[in-house]
Formats: sequence, structure tokens, C-alpha cells
Amino acid sequence: MAATTAQPAEASAAPTDKSDVVIETQNLTKVYRDFWGRQKVRALKALDLEVRRGEIFGLLGPNGSGKTTTIKLLLGLLFPTGGRAMVFGEDATSVKNKEKIGYLPEESYLYKFLNAEETLDFYGRLFDMPTAVRKERVAALIDEVGLNWAKRRQLKEYSKGMTRRIGLAQALINDPDLILLDEPTSGLDPIGTREMKDMILRLRDQGKTVLMCSHLLPDIQDVCDRIAILHHGELKELGRVDKLLTVQDVTQIRTKRLSEKAKDKIREIVKNDGAELLEIDNPTSTLEELFLSIVQDSEARPGRRASGGADN
Amino acid sequence: MVIEKKELLTFFEWLLPTDQGPGGLLTFLVVSVVLLLLGLVVSYVFCAVRRGPAEGFFAVARGVYTGVVDFANTSPRRVFAMASLAIKEAIRRRVLIAFAVFVVVLLFAGWFLDVQSDHPARIYISFVLTASTYLVLVLALFLSAFSLPNDIKNRTIYTIVTKPVRASEIVMGRIIGFVVIGTMLLTMMGVVSYFFVTRGLSHEHAVILDSRQVQGEGKNQIEVWETTFNSHHRHIITRDSAGAAYVDSQMGHTHAVTDNGGELVLGPPQGQLQAKVPIYGKLRFLDRAGKEAREGINVGNEWTYRSYIGGGSQAATWWTFNNVTPERFPNGLPIELTLSVFRTHKGDIERGVLGELYLKNPDKNITSESDFFTSVEYGTDQKLIPRTLNIVDRDTGLTKKNGDLFTDLVSQDGRLEVWVKCAEPGQYFGMAQPDVYLRSAERTFAFNFAKGYVSIWLQMVLVVAFGVMFSTFLSGSVTMLATLASLVLGYFASFVVKVATGEVLGGGPMESFYRLFSQKNVSTELDPSASASAMENIDLVMMQTMQSVVYVLPSYRDFGTSHFVAYGFNINGDLLATHIATTLSYGLAVTIIAYFALKSRELAA
Repeated sequence: MAATTAQPAEASAAPTDKSDVVIETQNLTKVYRDFWGRQKVRALKALDLEVRRGEIFGLLGPNGSGKTTTIKLLLGLLFPTGGRAMVFGEDATSVKNKEKIGYLPEESYLYKFLNAEETLDFYGRLFDMPTAVRKERVAALIDEVGLNWAKRRQLKEYSKGMTRRIGLAQALINDPDLILLDEPTSGLDPIGTREMKDMILRLRDQGKTVLMCSHLLPDIQDVCDRIAILHHGELKELGRVDKLLTVQDVTQIRTKRLSEKAKDKIREIVKNDGAELLEIDNPTSTLEELFLSIVQDSEARPGRRASGGADN
Repeated sequence: MVIEKKELLTFFEWLLPTDQGPGGLLTFLVVSVVLLLLGLVVSYVFCAVRRGPAEGFFAVARGVYTGVVDFANTSPRRVFAMASLAIKEAIRRRVLIAFAVFVVVLLFAGWFLDVQSDHPARIYISFVLTASTYLVLVLALFLSAFSLPNDIKNRTIYTIVTKPVRASEIVMGRIIGFVVIGTMLLTMMGVVSYFFVTRGLSHEHAVILDSRQVQGEGKNQIEVWETTFNSHHRHIITRDSAGAAYVDSQMGHTHAVTDNGGELVLGPPQGQLQAKVPIYGKLRFLDRAGKEAREGINVGNEWTYRSYIGGGSQAATWWTFNNVTPERFPNGLPIELTLSVFRTHKGDIERGVLGELYLKNPDKNITSESDFFTSVEYGTDQKLIPRTLNIVDRDTGLTKKNGDLFTDLVSQDGRLEVWVKCAEPGQYFGMAQPDVYLRSAERTFAFNFAKGYVSIWLQMVLVVAFGVMFSTFLSGSVTMLATLASLVLGYFASFVVKVATGEVLGGGPMESFYRLFSQKNVSTELDPSASASAMENIDLVMMQTMQSVVYVLPSYRDFGTSHFVAYGFNINGDLLATHIATTLSYGLAVTIIAYFALKSRELAA
């Protein structure tokens, strides 16, 4: 399988210690069935993934590709039909694990009749935090997500962006080691999106592991270290963002104040080698181009494939 | 008032095995073990089908293990957080409207309560207790049925179960939260009801001095007054020549009367809001020939609560009371009888049937002098047997004047027998064990009223627990139906058992359905045919299922104690203790079932 061949290649790039693996899925499969047990959708087909400590991992795919299903399986909200989902080396359904996990759902499914403070206090209690710790933490988080001015208002009065912020605060209440973000920027305006991305990068800098899924390509491109592209529940591409986006067989030269004469020379120099260049690099495509080409390719030739070629 | 035999048991008689039955504890253990095994088998079959026999075994074992670990790690703070969330949710959903409805119902109660009844207190008390029960149970039903399904539907449950919250904590939090809400509501209803009853029944009469009449002469002279007509009745005041005044009993109460310098003044009503503590004896029968019998005669009434003895024969009944001591009854023995009368000829219908009552020493053939009384039909006859009385030796026929009740008639170990006979040939007295009792003490009505509310509270706890349990695996409206079904089955448990055991004529559900539409009498045999036997076989399966389902469900009707409060009897602490123990056992079982149901559910599916 292409996906499995991709892993040794990566392993050589960043030597893995087993204790460094935060999320591991083996052959993870999910089939949705109706009431009578008849198969409705194969939402996820034999997914193998590894997410390591301290990275931002992006799950990318069009709607209905299995991103959210993967996250729900990792949280124990769904039970796998086949294969295993392991988080911190334990089964995803383990309750103890949840101490170290923060989760921001697709829409912030919060109790609308609570206000911001009550919401965070409630989730703090679920982590069995003592009152003093909880108070401090709630105040700090409300401050961090910039909702100080609205902390006494019921969530039903909140705008989409504010709900998102309080949702993020709720995911961070326990200072988690692993944060799962389902469409973190959906419904946010450009400034909100920027702030959310900065927050994600800040979390990574604090040494936390982030798994996010999105269909918004610029978000993924901006923040993710590695991505997996899913389509129809199949893994299509897996690797480091910078490598995936590097066009291997093209070289791009950028110079400053180059005379016509020099241009001719460069052609020569390139031929002969040895000239001083300001930049000589591979051009990068945008993630959008890559994504669209993969989806189109997948539509044309269905089947599981993860080239992993970009790692080489 | 009808008091079931099981309502007279002491807590340990109920809990431990006796010759009457296996007892509550054993039943609980047997049912628990059966349910446990059933649960294990079903979940194993389910897992084995999904994952294969060996994997299935491990899955079940792991499930049981994590279950034990989860329950052991239950955090009070998390449970409290879930509970306070449930409370906030309920309050924001404006459950207190139920209280407003209750107050409105009370305001308009006057329109439909029969204020002219002979016992308005009974009507008032039953009414408020019934209204509170229905409102609180309906509220508990709605709250518990929709909360968890709504959380799952709105996906707020995602943010809960992705925190280190055990399914047991979600279940317990919900149950506790809704119980707290219900408690708040019941307390409010109880306080309002108490004032509704006490204020509604309190009234005053003035004595019409002009109505004074003098009857008799000399020592036998009595004076009689009438009172004003208030609250749909008036009283007659009688004063004898010694100056002792007495007010007759109307609508279940009398008044104290004081002579305020020639002016008679009536105090507040007495005896309508009371909490008598009865001491029950063991009932036995003698048949017509004077031989001991298991029970009296069945006079053909379908209802077998009371058993009858015929008049003018050797037939008799007697109650044996234990622990009859002068310390408990310093002023003599207050006996109250509620006998039913079955007449085979009309006689003088205005007059009660003549009966004979005497006390007997259980060890000797020594009795008190017979007291001949006319029966009070549809009411309770109160007698006070004085400490000093005439004693008859039945063997010799000699009468001893001024004997002592306790030294002559009570045996060494404190037993005393109360004998009742019917004195008119052709007429019958019917009696059940609780019909004759010694009235030992009086408790405050308010406390008894509160105990009545505790019974309602227990029913509410059960409804909440069942609602939450069903909501862990059913959707909101289906949960409501299931909980309602369990409530209805629980209320009519005894009838359902009778249908299931074939005691009720007309067969099981299928056969009754057929009879209903073919208009066949319940007692005619069905024509033997293939379809008839198929019907009977399906019924057999259904009846077995019904029986086991009803056996497992709580019998809500047994929890009702409003008749005690309404009829002025103290709710026995033992009875309340059995109800509390039953509720706790159900609460425990239901929590465990709900835990596994929620745990094994894919909440995001």
C-alpha cells in the first residue's frame, strides 16, 4: 500500500520514538449502518495515520471525505467498524485519556442557556478542578480569547465568532497536550481566522500537539506541519506540507537588478555553474492546485492511493 | 379504608424471608442476578456477532471491568456539575410553570370538590395529594425523557463525553439534578397544599343561645343548643346536669366547647386533621359450629378483602394484640372498629345491626362483660374500654365487679384478645385485619402530611430514574412513551398480573381482542380451531412476558400513602422505610443499566 510505504520514508526523515506518537490509527475503518444493520456509507476505509508530539497535523478533504469521522473515532464518539484508534497509546474510548485532550467541535455545541463564565466553570468541574484553580483558569481563558466584555451574557446571544472563541476556550480549559480542532476557522471573519491561526501556532510553540481538519486550504497551508488528504474515506496524500508543495522538476531563479547582459550570462552560468545567485529554488504550487488535482485524479481513478512521493 | 396486608408488615418482615414470601432482600438479589446474567448473555451474543466469539468475550469482560473502575472513580464534583447543569436547564425551560398550574388548580378547586361531603377533610387531602402526584410525575416524565436525547440531538453531549466524564456520572448527575428540581417543586406544592387544607377546613360556629331546649328532668336533665350553619353544617351542643358539655360530630369533626360565663363558645374544629397511630392485632375466625377456621364466609362479593361471620351462631372473630401494657394505655383501651354489614334481610334499615364485643384473656376463659353495640355502617365506631370493669368467668358464669383490665384480661406476656360477634341471626359482619385496632397515640397532622409527600417524592424519584435510563438508549418521545408505559404498568401491576396469570377471564391480549370484536362473552369457550389455539399460544408468550416485565417494574400504586393521610392514620415508619429501600434498590439497578446503555452507545452516530 502506498500509504504504508510513505511511513518508512518519513521515519527516516524524523526518527520516531514510539513514545513520541500521540495518535496512531491502524487500518481504521468506519461503516455507517442504518437501523437494520444495512450498510449506508463507508465513511473511512483502512486509515493508517501517525501524529507525533508537537506537530500540527491537518486532515484535508472535501465535505464527506471522512475528516470528522476520523476525529470522532479518535475521541471515542464513534466506535470503529474495523481497525484501531489509539491516543496516547490507549484505546480512543478510554476515559482517562480525556484528561489530556481538548476538543473543539465543528460547531461549538455548548449549552446556550449558560453564560461564558458558567460554561467554562462547568467544563472545569468536569475535569475535577478545585474551585480556586478553576476560577483562575476561567478568567485567564476568557481574557485570552478576548471575551471579557461579554462574559456574563448567555451564549444564545453570542455571534458565531464569539461562540467559536468560547468553544476554543472550553477546549483549552484543562491545558491539554493534544488538541483536536474540527474546522477551527469556520464562520470566522478574516481577522478572527488570523487570530485562530496564531493561537494554533502558539499552542504548537507551547509543545502541544494539534490535529485539525478543514476544507479551507489556506488555513491548512498556513499552519500545518503535515497533512493527510482524504477523499471518499480514503487516504490520498500524506506528508510534510512544504515537501508536498514542492515541484520537483522545475527550478526557479530570482535575482535583483539583473542586467540584460547578465541574463544572458546566467544562461551560461547555469550551464557552467559557479555564479552567485540570490535565490535558486524550486517553485511551489499552492495547496489549492495540489488539492484540486488530487480530487480530480481520484474522481477519475477511484481507489486508495497516497503517493508519498513528495517525501523523497 | 382499605389497608393491604403488606402495608402492615414491619421493615424486617418485609425485608427478610418469611412463610408468606421470599422477602424483599431475596427478591432483589434474585432479580439482580437474573438481570445480570441476562445482560451478560445478551451483550456477549451481540459482541460475538459483531467481533467473533473470542473477541466478543474479551469485549464483554473489558466492559464489565471498565464499568467497575468507572463506578469506583466517580467524582462528586463532576456529578454535582452535571446535576447543577440539569437544574439550570430545567429552570431555564421554565418548569416552575408546573407550580403555577398547581396553584391555579387549587384556586379553582372549590368548583369541583364536594364540600358537602360527610368527610370534607378526606376529599381535600386526597385532592391535594393526588394533584401533586400527577403534576410532579408528569413533570418528572417530561424532564427526564427529553434531556439526554436533546443533548445528543443538539450534540452538546460531544463536549461532555470528550471530557473525562464517566457515563455513570452523566446518569447520576441527571437523576440527582431532576430529583432536586422535583423536590423543590414538591416542597412548594406541599406548603401551599398544607395551607389550602388547613385554611379550607377551618371554620367557626357561634352558639344560637335562643335555640336552647331542656329535655328530661332532675339528674337526667340535659340542655341542648344549636350552632350557626357554617361550612355547610351545624352542630348540636348537649350539656348534662353535671355541667359537662359535648358537641356532636359532623363532617368528621367536633369542636371543644367552653362556658364563658354562661355564654358557650366553640373552639376550632377537632378530629378532622389527625394522624392516629393504630396498633393492629392478628385476626382469627370461628365458624358457625365454633371451630377455628382460616377465614369467615364469602358473602358473594367479588372483593375478598373482608371475610364475614353470621349472626346468632357460634361464629366469631377475634384479634390478638401484643404488648398491651398500662404504660401504653394509661386511660383505658381505645378501640376503633370499622365493620361492614351484610344483610340477608332488610330488618330496620335505619338501625345498625346488633353486635357483641368483649375482651378476653388469651390464657384463661375470662372475659369482660359483653358490650352490645349497634354497628356503624360506612363509618368508624370508637370505644374506650375503661381500666376498671366487670369481669366474667365464662367457665363458672360468675361476674367479678370492678376487675382490672390489665391484671385480669391481659396475659402475662402482654397479650389481649378482642372478640366480636354478630348478634342478629341472618345478618353478617365483615371484617379484615385492619378493621379493629387499638389507637395508641396521636401524631401531628403536619408531619404525617409531610410523610405523604415523601411517598410522592419516592414515586417521582422512580419516574426520573426510569426516564433517564430509557433516555440513554431511546429518543426523547420514545423515552416518554416507555416511561409512561412503565408508570401505567406499575400502577396497574396487580391487574396486569391477574391478566397474565389468567385470573381475569377472557384470556390474554390476543384472545381478548378477538372476543371484543366478535362480541363473545368472556366466559364462553372458544370453538377449538387452529386459529384459536394459535391465538392462545401467542397469548401464553405475551402473558409470560407481561408477568416478568411487571415483576421487574416498580409497583407505583404500592407507594401511594395518600389514603393514610386522608383517613387520618399515621404513615407507619416501617412502611415508609420499605418504600425508601425499594426506591434505592431500583435507583441502583437503573443507574447501572443506564451506565452500560450509555457507555455502549455511539453518541455521534
